[in-house]
Amino acid sequence: MELLEAWFNRQGWRPFEFQREAWSAYLDGASGLVHAPTGMGKSYAVWCGPLLEGLTEKPAAADPPLPRVLWITPLRALAHDTLAALRKPVEEMGLPWTVGLRTGDTPVRERRAQRERLPTALVTTPESVSLLLSYPDARKRLATLRCVVVDEWHELLGSKRGVQVELALARLRAWRPDLRTWGLSATIGNLAEATAVLLGVPSPAARRRMSGRLIQGRMNKEVAIETLRPPDMERFPWSGHLGLGLLPEVIAAIGRARSTLLFTNTRSQAELWFQGLLRARPDWIGRVALHHGSLDREIRERVEEMLRAGALQCVVCTSSLDLGVDFSPVDQVIQVGSPKGIARLMQRAGRSGHQPGAVSRILCVPTNAFELVEFSAARAALHRRAIESRTPLDRPLDVLVQHLVTVGLGGGFTPEDLWREVTRTHAFRNLSLDEWQWAVDFVTSGGPALKAYAQFSRVVKGEHGCAVHSPRVARLHRMSIGTITSESQMAVRYLGGGRLGTIEESFMARLRPGDRFIFSGQVLELRLVRDMTAYVRKAPAGGGVTPRWYGGRMPLSSRLAEAVRARLAEARNGRYADADMEAARPLLELQAAWSHIPGPGELLIETMRSREGRHFFIYPFEGRLVHEGLGPLIACRLTRVMPCSITTAATDYGFELLANVDTVPDETRWRRLLSPEGLLDDLHACLNATELVGRQFRDIARIAGLVFSGYPGQARPMRQLQASSDLFYRVFLDYDPENGLLQQARREVLDQQLEITRLRQTLERIAGMRLVQVETAQFSPMAFPIWSERLRSQHVSSERWSERVRRMVVKLEKTASRPRPRRAGRRMLSPVACAESSPKCRRGKLTPRAGSA
Amino acid sequence: MMHIRWGGEDLCLLAEKAVLWKRRRTLLIADPHFGKAAAFRDAGIPVPGGMTRTDLGRLDRLIGQTEVRRLVILGDFLHARAGRSLEVTAALADWRRRHSGVEVLLVRGNHDIHAGDPPQEWRITVAGEPLADPPFLFCHEPAGRRGGLVMGGHVHPAVVLEGPGGEWLRAPCFCFGADRAVVPAFGSFTGCKAIRPGPGERVFVVGEGEVVEAAVGR
Repeated sequence: MELLEAWFNRQGWRPFEFQREAWSAYLDGASGLVHAPTGMGKSYAVWCGPLLEGLTEKPAAADPPLPRVLWITPLRALAHDTLAALRKPVEEMGLPWTVGLRTGDTPVRERRAQRERLPTALVTTPESVSLLLSYPDARKRLATLRCVVVDEWHELLGSKRGVQVELALARLRAWRPDLRTWGLSATIGNLAEATAVLLGVPSPAARRRMSGRLIQGRMNKEVAIETLRPPDMERFPWSGHLGLGLLPEVIAAIGRARSTLLFTNTRSQAELWFQGLLRARPDWIGRVALHHGSLDREIRERVEEMLRAGALQCVVCTSSLDLGVDFSPVDQVIQVGSPKGIARLMQRAGRSGHQPGAVSRILCVPTNAFELVEFSAARAALHRRAIESRTPLDRPLDVLVQHLVTVGLGGGFTPEDLWREVTRTHAFRNLSLDEWQWAVDFVTSGGPALKAYAQFSRVVKGEHGCAVHSPRVARLHRMSIGTITSESQMAVRYLGGGRLGTIEESFMARLRPGDRFIFSGQVLELRLVRDMTAYVRKAPAGGGVTPRWYGGRMPLSSRLAEAVRARLAEARNGRYADADMEAARPLLELQAAWSHIPGPGELLIETMRSREGRHFFIYPFEGRLVHEGLGPLIACRLTRVMPCSITTAATDYGFELLANVDTVPDETRWRRLLSPEGLLDDLHACLNATELVGRQFRDIARIAGLVFSGYPGQARPMRQLQASSDLFYRVFLDYDPENGLLQQARREVLDQQLEITRLRQTLERIAGMRLVQVETAQFSPMAFPIWSERLRSQHVSSERWSERVRRMVVKLEKTASRPRPRRAGRRMLSPVACAESSPKCRRGKLTPRAGSA
Repeated sequence: MMHIRWGGEDLCLLAEKAVLWKRRRTLLIADPHFGKAAAFRDAGIPVPGGMTRTDLGRLDRLIGQTEVRRLVILGDFLHARAGRSLEVTAALADWRRRHSGVEVLLVRGNHDIHAGDPPQEWRITVAGEPLADPPFLFCHEPAGRRGGLVMGGHVHPAVVLEGPGGEWLRAPCFCFGADRAVVPAFGSFTGCKAIRPGPGERVFVVGEGEVVEAAVGR
């Protein structure tokens, strides 16, 4: 202990109380979770426990000790910094330990050395841990571990990668029952649950010895949410996410600070803001940088280094810089657009003002007028400490199927033993025997005896248990472990060879050679595509398409949605709580004049006729996910009582139904349509009518090892074994409808995507509300953003297929192709949304011009 | 069923994803990819069985109803060498025996080159591209081929139809241009690729037992 304290003193630090608490808990043999904001010393809270243990031991022989600590980090980008932080005390205190790194980026040579012998402590990612488990000698190599640390556990919790970690932990604990597990987490609403998930269901023996400790770090950070309000609300757009409207004000703010992190919610938005900043301030070239998850690792690392060195005025970034180490020169954080949740806002705010005790400030920049309401609501929610929870996943069979093959490779298994091991995880604690049997059958014979797939085996049942024999299966499987998270990616390189990063294959598929797009802060021209690589060159000049990354759009959290409802209800009674609400006032008053602002206990339904058909806008204010479920549900119910086709679109505030018949339901009918009665049956019927389940199946097919996306920059493995997840989905529906993965897809859509519990609560809430139906002459300020949001629209129809076809049109080939147009061209009313794919962003006027509705 | 006139000939486009050329009593299909599921299973990728039987049953009905004397397969008859499992070859041999009076022609496709030609006893005449049968040139890959009315497969064509309010729908299709036609893939375990028709091309989409001509516009 003296050695360690002396080392702390040499750094000019004194151990915090929570650090001491964590050290002694570790030395007691306990496991647990340390909760502290970033930059408050939580890494050393868990790292120094094992170090203290090492320091008290007698110096062993010449060799460094066998593997003891596995340090799992969710982001590869964090691994390097973590490695340096962990090595520092080891080297300076003269421990004979080796500390190594293993991620997808680790060079083959180093990996081969690790095959011989793992370092004493290994920093790695969830995928790499699974890969380690997939080698036949995994047990021998990992059974000496004493401690597993899971960094940024809040980030993994609730994701399939998190479940991957849970399964790996269960395996390691089966080999080593006294293994200690420590998690590190930022603030979330369910820390106790997070601890329970991390530690799993303890074995009866372990239960007596310890329960998980939850150690609270120093939490004295105050968060101040400030807003950059538009000087001219009259010209400020009503909707859109990419708007550069406040660029001059943002530039001024950046100029005032030493070093700024400018967070955007999507990578497209980051690209646009980066371009915008440099166009306005060419003198900032070299001092403003771009950072997001698709950029090449070397580019990102260079940016991080420069940021640490204080050499950058501003970095435009996405959630890629949400996590991780301290960038102490950063003294300002700007958030562009709504953060959509309180926890994220706190996390981002915490990236500045790292000195203990300092207030974390975040400057919020609205991209549309309603975001002012969200900033104000976030401030109120933060005041009440209404912070979101991360719901753990329940029984994702795709991850289980993958794990079965991993274990089949890594020494094999007997079903009885593995069942016991797997059900010790939180995720599979309620796994039924039927589900387990299905998963085992699926990897061994494709299905139960009567439905076994001819000549199929992946894992072979033998006398001594189940194992993988085929080298080809092994190779494909190890490849699919590495791609658990993401959609199929393509490498982006210059013709000359320089790497720029990776980009979703689905985006590249829509481009042709000669097309331009914006990536990595530049306008690029696609030259050719080969072997999962898009070769590009710098485009001479002019605009390009910004990739639209679909993944990054966060829905409004229920906590924030609730706060927004409260703010609007106040506004309806003429109360504008703060300057943000005051700024949004003209818009809200316009809403009240053209339509209505829903008060507490009111559900607003706007109806309108346009050339497109009959529009209904319904506003439960429950966040996009719930609305994405409600839209198709109500549409299905409506198509049942009248033959028609309905398109639905949703935002965080409400949803739209666009019908091709002109009938307006009366109150009694609305009540029936919005009734919570028969919800589950209707939802199932409606899921069959939409693409929601098929879309959800994409991830499942990849994780369960049905489709192989391959690695960016490499030829796809075995071309004749390529089939799309959509194809698998249809084939399973037709030929194996009982398949567990299909059922999982339905369950995931209901539980996670549509949040059925929240959906039911919403309908129950609506049942007790007054319905306010208003026929509007034009899109109201609240309706307009929904109308312009047709990206992820769903269609429900009770028309004959051929009738629908006759109404529709196939677009002719164009010389320059663009991403699929979001909507058929149609003249619009006055408040023009930003043309999202064009950097030349037009702003709309608040004052209505004569409309054409 | 959809009757069209192309190159001075009457053709029927069938919802079963086949073309009937009545005058020559010929049925045309493309890309059945027999044995694809078996090849996947062989590699340890779980794909349910039953598709070969379904596809052959569909072909049986087509041949029975149209009473053709000749079947032309526009390439990719077999998917891969690994897909030539006993089960698949037995089913195909059976099918061939049931229609011994029908002449079967195969235009060799890229998959056939790797999978190998069908066994002699199936009496399938195999030809390289293009196979001339005036006024048509039968191919597997129609792209870039000139010098006649080219009919082929390979692309597994589909189109995206767009309606008002962002409504859209994707369906496999036949695509007929001035001197080139593409036929949808016949096999159940085949994907499809969205194409954009060029000026003057007619698109016939297939779905729910019907063939409907789609409007093509801007």
